[in-house]
Amino acid sequence: MYLSLKSDIRVDLDAVFAALSDPTRRDILKRLSQNDLSVKDIATDYDMSQPAISKHLKVLERAELIERRADGQSRLAALKADTMEGAVNWLREFEEFWTGSLDQLDVVLAGMPDPKESKS
Amino acid sequence: MSDEAKFVMERVFDAPIENVWKAWTDPKYLAEWYGPGVDTIIHAFDLSPGGVWLNEMKGEAYSMRSKIIFQDVTPPSRLVWHNSMTDADWNIISNPNMPDWPTTMQMCVEFESKGDQTVMTLTWTPFQASDAERACFAGAVENLGKGWGAGMEMLAQVLADMGA
Repeated sequence: MYLSLKSDIRVDLDAVFAALSDPTRRDILKRLSQNDLSVKDIATDYDMSQPAISKHLKVLERAELIERRADGQSRLAALKADTMEGAVNWLREFEEFWTGSLDQLDVVLAGMPDPKESKS
Repeated sequence: MSDEAKFVMERVFDAPIENVWKAWTDPKYLAEWYGPGVDTIIHAFDLSPGGVWLNEMKGEAYSMRSKIIFQDVTPPSRLVWHNSMTDADWNIISNPNMPDWPTTMQMCVEFESKGDQTVMTLTWTPFQASDAERACFAGAVENLGKGWGAGMEMLAQVLADMGA
């Protein structure tokens, strides 16, 4: 609703938010911010089956939050910074619209006459 | 529906409730504060249930227009409106950058007097939204958390880590 007035976000935010709504996927992203990892690495970390992890990675990949690249025999998942930034900006702009507006409202209110005094 | 995802924002103003109500419902004051760092132009304003407020916010690059329809106007404590983005002819459209973001949002603002101050509570919920729109909004709210909590912090942390 509160479309950005300044930036031109082109990421699929619907997919991003859907992907981020799951705590395991958020945690996977956090891990990927440290290192690029294979499905096997991640599955070991979570005590989850590789197919289950693959499913989560597919959701993240579709949202373009990660990309996959070949590394010898295995494929590594890597975080995509721009998409993450797009999502953060969207949330910030929604917040800034309202905190910015309400800050301005504070100023407007300070300039208004006291209703009790103006009645007399 | 009580289990509907909603986003809530609270704020305390150092002003009497009469003035806060006036600042929210008088277009002269609204244009001064609604929309940060943009020129707000109010093209139409009818403060009554079913009445319409046509709002334009002029940014540096382009304008954003929205159509607001008042639902409940109970001075000085409660104001409910439906807000939708529109094209240049005031036809309601979905967000081009986020097609599954709810096309129409219901915004409820409530005011409560507390001594010399006024407590404001803003609540957003999707209005007549499709399943996809509701899911999208729920995903966003989940990430916004209470007061832009968990999700924002996680994302900020991830970004900070990437920069390190």
